Amino acid sequence: MKQLALIVVLFASAQLVIGQEPSADGMAPAFSPVTWERLVNAADEPENWLMYSGTLDSQRYSGLDQINNRNTSGLELKWAYQIPEIDRAETVPLVVDGVMFITEAPSNLMAVDAVTGRPYWRYEHELPEDLRICCGRNNRGVAILGETLYMSTLEAHLVGIDARTGNLMWDREVADYRAGYSKTAAPLIVKDQVITGIAGGEFGIRGFIDSYNAETGEREWRADTIPGPDHPDNRTWAGDSWRTGGSASWITGSYDADLDMVYWGTGNPGPDWNGDVRMGDNLYSDSALALNGNTGELEWYFQFTPHDVHDWDAIQVPILADLEFDGEMRKVMMWANRNAFYYTLDRETGEFLIGKPFAKQTWAEGLDENGRPIRIPNTSPTEDGVVVSPSVGGATNWWSPAYSPRTELFYVNAYDSEQKFFKRDEDYVEGERFTGGGGENILPQDAYHSAIRAIDPRTGDIRWEFPLQPRATAGLLTTAGDLVFSGGVDGYFFALDAVSGQELWHIQLGGRVHAAPMSFSVNGQQYVTIAAGNVVYTFGLKN
Amino acid sequence: MHWITWFQWTKALLLTAVMVVCWTVGPVAQEPEATDAAGTGEENPFTTRFDRRMGERIFLRQCSRCHGQDARGNDETGAPDLTTGRFANASTLTGVFNVIRNGVRGTAMLPVAPSTPDEEIWQLVSYVDSLSGSPADFDVAGSAPSGRQIYAGKGDCASCHMIDSDGNRLGPDLSRVAERRRPSELRSDLVTPNAEVNPRWWTVQVTRADGSTLEGLRMGEDTFTLRLMDQDENLWSFLKSEIRSYERNEESTMPSYEQTLTAGEIDDLVAYLFSLRKDSIRSSVRPSDIRRNQ
Repeated sequence: MKQLALIVVLFASAQLVIGQEPSADGMAPAFSPVTWERLVNAADEPENWLMYSGTLDSQRYSGLDQINNRNTSGLELKWAYQIPEIDRAETVPLVVDGVMFITEAPSNLMAVDAVTGRPYWRYEHELPEDLRICCGRNNRGVAILGETLYMSTLEAHLVGIDARTGNLMWDREVADYRAGYSKTAAPLIVKDQVITGIAGGEFGIRGFIDSYNAETGEREWRADTIPGPDHPDNRTWAGDSWRTGGSASWITGSYDADLDMVYWGTGNPGPDWNGDVRMGDNLYSDSALALNGNTGELEWYFQFTPHDVHDWDAIQVPILADLEFDGEMRKVMMWANRNAFYYTLDRETGEFLIGKPFAKQTWAEGLDENGRPIRIPNTSPTEDGVVVSPSVGGATNWWSPAYSPRTELFYVNAYDSEQKFFKRDEDYVEGERFTGGGGENILPQDAYHSAIRAIDPRTGDIRWEFPLQPRATAGLLTTAGDLVFSGGVDGYFFALDAVSGQELWHIQLGGRVHAAPMSFSVNGQQYVTIAAGNVVYTFGLKN
Repeated sequence: MHWITWFQWTKALLLTAVMVVCWTVGPVAQEPEATDAAGTGEENPFTTRFDRRMGERIFLRQCSRCHGQDARGNDETGAPDLTTGRFANASTLTGVFNVIRNGVRGTAMLPVAPSTPDEEIWQLVSYVDSLSGSPADFDVAGSAPSGRQIYAGKGDCASCHMIDSDGNRLGPDLSRVAERRRPSELRSDLVTPNAEVNPRWWTVQVTRADGSTLEGLRMGEDTFTLRLMDQDENLWSFLKSEIRSYERNEESTMPSYEQTLTAGEIDDLVAYLFSLRKDSIRSSVRPSDIRRNQ
């Protein structure tokens, strides 16, 4: 009897967690509130994709294995959703209990049925006409907590939107867009907070990472990514250069619930290519930051590129995993950086464990024992230009990498490139570009190439690579079916074997892929979704 | 055999940008509505050397991030080449003014801040206009009519190239080559054809599964496929997974004319090529004069 009571209690609590009440005909309504507990345990409900990177550790690993390395030939298109506003789709949709949330350029949000692609509602965000954005009108995704979706908008606002109707709940200015601030990345939910970064590193902004109360939209804390003059690290900026030093935070971070640490990358120091006016290491630009999950206080930092003069933002999604390292279990962070080096760090302390190039680079002899680059002389931009690898766009960029706990490999979209870097004198004018130089291509794009590279996080060695022509700028997904999904600017969406790197399936979608794939299931059928060109495509196995 | 040019490559980007805009935005957005000063159709009042200098400064600061320090565009950002004198979204300099003022909807080309004075935009237009240069800006030593004879005769250029539908397909169409190539660049193309080779004119040798080989010009390549034109102008498409191997040759198939033509003949050929524009009057080379290489 006791056992029966326990089963009843367990069943009841499971219903509370999942929150869906099956009706008499066995059907459950779509969508149920997303509690913080559901987000912490997102890996336990692989049928949903509850946040930008899938889980708080950002592994972009789907536990679903219906689609696997033995049956990809059975994949077929299930539906396509045409985004009506024309621009580059960089969105990673969320799926919550059969409802898919798709962000659109410039700052709109759509809810569709995840099985048919047909709409529930659409939120259109009104934008001012005098936006200051460096690199396109993009939006990369939303966050969800309870019944509210949280979205960044191009005019540097954060909005809360009702997940059932698309109604606007609140709208907060994060920073003044007229001064060059903007927002494109999906926020990250941490407990009852919405953590969000800022873009604008080409406009002489001063970066930060913010926390907002999920219910009220009130700001709870701000972590400056450039410390103020009362902090000793401020002295890593010559004179007043810290005031316009950039160090934006324009991609989504990760969270470790056990350590209660938020991890976030920061962008280039400004002006991008003229470091003469900001001598010093320029902390905490181009760094991984670990922030206290309650207060936002800095727990540790690791700067990948001190005094960067090539625009190599550390704007990559930090991937967290627990790995055996030299015989002991370590809580690590894996990071393939725009500067062409791969790093494994200890995420409790920020200690550098290993680092190696994963793509062509000509600017550093290597990393020292603390992970600091040993620079090769004469690789900084000049008035006449100097050729350096990687290019301004980097050896990788914001495109999400992925990790599979089954293969224990880290997967990244790498680009072997070069560019001629110039510098010039430039004065800061609020709201105007503040870059101090630029880049010129040496050869046509086709002369270079990209590759999906599988990296062993214990050694930094490249286990395999899958070459891409001419190049690729898409994110990755790994699955329990031992697949790696990604795409390219040539319009292909493809699946590789996660163990060997062998190509298993591809389809030409006719539009450049800049987004990252995600996977979910409804009623026992697994789907994989990718945005290409201006269309969101969803695939599944033939029924 | 082939004039392979950097400009060809950038032209391809430009055309792609045009196609993308046409496809995505439709005809309405191709030419933004004229506004403000530009709407009156007045000519650019800011065209002095000082204005161009000011325009260059604005360009480097506000535009070079996407369009490149040299304004030759960037495939990654989708920003078109601005040095050809032909624009994806404008057919006149007033149109260029409007693009800068209003942006191009559905692309990363945003409008300038509303507070930007017309003067600055016109200065920018002057600078962009100066990047292509008008034909009168260039001294051309040779004789175009003589160059035409060399093209059709001693140079045997039509065995690969086409002008106004006459000629062959194994090199770039030269009907409007002067719009994208300056005299010095045309000379370089003739003398050192490997200096800048557009990937469209690279060569690929494919070894099929049965061991037989086929060589052709690289019309297209991506992660999974290859498309070629062989010497007989046949089109071929391959899945990379179904061939044994392929080898890419990034050199031009065109020989240098440094030894086969005299300096004077090269001057003449450059003069002829630099006369080839959309509006130029060409009467000489007729289809019947050309032996088609079928």
